[in-house]
Amino acid sequence: MERSIPLSVEKKAKTYLNLGLLMAVVLFCFLYLNVNVGDIVTALPNLVGFLVDNFMPPNFTNLGVYMGAVMDTILFAIVGTYISAFLAFTFGILMSEAMMPNPWVRGLVRFFISFLRNIPVLIWASLLIFVFGIGNMVGLIALILATVGFLSRSYAESINEIAGSKLESLRASGAGWWQILFHGLIPEFIPSWMNWTLFSFEINIRASAILGTVGAGGLGILIQTNLNMRNFTEAAALIVILVAMVLLTEAAVSLLRKRLSIGGH
Amino acid sequence: MTTPLLSIKGLQKSYGGKKMVLKGMDAEIFHGEFIVVIGPSGAGKSTFIRCINRMVDPSEGELLFDGQDLAKLKGKKLRVARSKVGMIFQHYNLIGRTNVIKNVLHGRLGQIPFYKSALGLYTSEEKSMAFHLLTKLGLGEHIYKKASALSGGQMQRVGIARAMMQQPKLLLADEPIASLDPKSAQVVMDQIHAITKENNLTCIMNLHQVEVAKNYATRIIGIKDGKIVYDDVPAKLTNEMIDYIYEGKEEEMGQPATGVEPVKGEFSYGA
Ligand SMILES: Nc1ncnc2c1ncn2[C@@H]1O[C@H](COP(=O)(O)OP(=O)(O)OP(=O)(O)O)[C@@H](O)[C@H]1O
Ligand SMILES: [Mg+2]
Repeated sequence: MERSIPLSVEKKAKTYLNLGLLMAVVLFCFLYLNVNVGDIVTALPNLVGFLVDNFMPPNFTNLGVYMGAVMDTILFAIVGTYISAFLAFTFGILMSEAMMPNPWVRGLVRFFISFLRNIPVLIWASLLIFVFGIGNMVGLIALILATVGFLSRSYAESINEIAGSKLESLRASGAGWWQILFHGLIPEFIPSWMNWTLFSFEINIRASAILGTVGAGGLGILIQTNLNMRNFTEAAALIVILVAMVLLTEAAVSLLRKRLSIGGH
Repeated sequence: MTTPLLSIKGLQKSYGGKKMVLKGMDAEIFHGEFIVVIGPSGAGKSTFIRCINRMVDPSEGELLFDGQDLAKLKGKKLRVARSKVGMIFQHYNLIGRTNVIKNVLHGRLGQIPFYKSALGLYTSEEKSMAFHLLTKLGLGEHIYKKASALSGGQMQRVGIARAMMQQPKLLLADEPIASLDPKSAQVVMDQIHAITKENNLTCIMNLHQVEVAKNYATRIIGIKDGKIVYDDVPAKLTNEMIDYIYEGKEEEMGQPATGVEPVKGEFSYGA
């Protein structure tokens, strides 16, 4: 009694329908935005030509100045991530059901954090420039606001996971809130705390480079000004440095992860 | 007639006002009893045991223990009362990144202030008690290992030591052997049994395996659909009663093949 066994119970027709819908959506977007794919393809040789003519070879004569900006960018990311990690831990606890029984506090903090998170870092920087003027301070604060928004929610999820099961035993022994926090939550939370924090550090290195384009200091501001002044070869050098910096920090972070043996997410 | 250690009256529970999980339970627990609660999955065994130390808040009913109604306690008073009830968990619930002896000392948390535990200011009596408990349970050489580095059976023994560290008047255990292989399950059951007997400690335990329950219990409570349908000595638990308790869920009675039986020794009850 041989019978062929289907590998999937889903209907073929449904798959084709989904595929068709997806194509329709993409097509609609191109038409609506008035984007001509042909233009993009024909412009490609021009773009490459422009880049080669104007940006090559990169001009590294001002390397000393650039390295200062690289330093700024990295330090921003480090300090910003560091401060955010502590702030976000506090907010994460206030947001987690397991550690914060009061639903009003939880709701309020949740609202505040999702507000922070849903405003992109560049918008924060542009807003803050009106308050503090152009400079490094703006970049740092913008970075912290966005990072706190991102980390608080990630931390709260990890905290809930831990508190939902493992901390039960401490609660059952009559431990108080601070004891549960100190003897149970913090030791168990450290691996995910490091994981999330390193992850956001990688994001912040890139963010901190881009923040300069709105006048918030670092490597980005040099790229922006050189482009505006049509110093293309110098801008090219800066972009090369930016890429090298990002790659190096990524390598450093993954080395650190191995050292701490906490693996990926 | 002695007064009961714990007297449960009209205990009811519904999670979030929905269907009743515990539909009015009454029981009197006496000093020195080893009670095993059996029943099919979803009957309400865990809910029942967790209501006793208020890990779950009962909806209705009284829990008279040690001269007070546990169901009414709040805040500090609740914590003090909890510190007198030890609990052993199916998944051990150890703090994995903390070492074994500190995990055992966590049993004291309900009885000392935060600054002392945070600074590690346990008394020398407390420390030697933790050490002796661990040695007795065969973990003497592992006291500085991270809890996560232990085997399941070893973790559960740390769980036993932690509960005993509370010097409890009552011990609760929710499926303490459900995650263990038969051999470790046997060791853990024997140790819980011996340690409660030796300390004349009252124990209420949930178990899946009816055979194991019969071997260890002085009294068996059968729960079916949120109600106590059997409450008597194991000898009177007939096969008809077992069939009734597990009606429709016969596959859950647990294989007697695991054969966990008490060691016949100075600590065991004549089974
Ligand atoms: N936190 C909760 N929220 C809502 N419903 C719950 C909760 N905990 C348990 N229940 C429900 O209460 C009923 C009894 O659950 P309980 O865990 O007490 O059963 P059990 O007898 O311990 O089962 P098992 O043998 O599977 O552990 C189940 O229907 C379960 O779905
Ligand atoms: Mg259960």
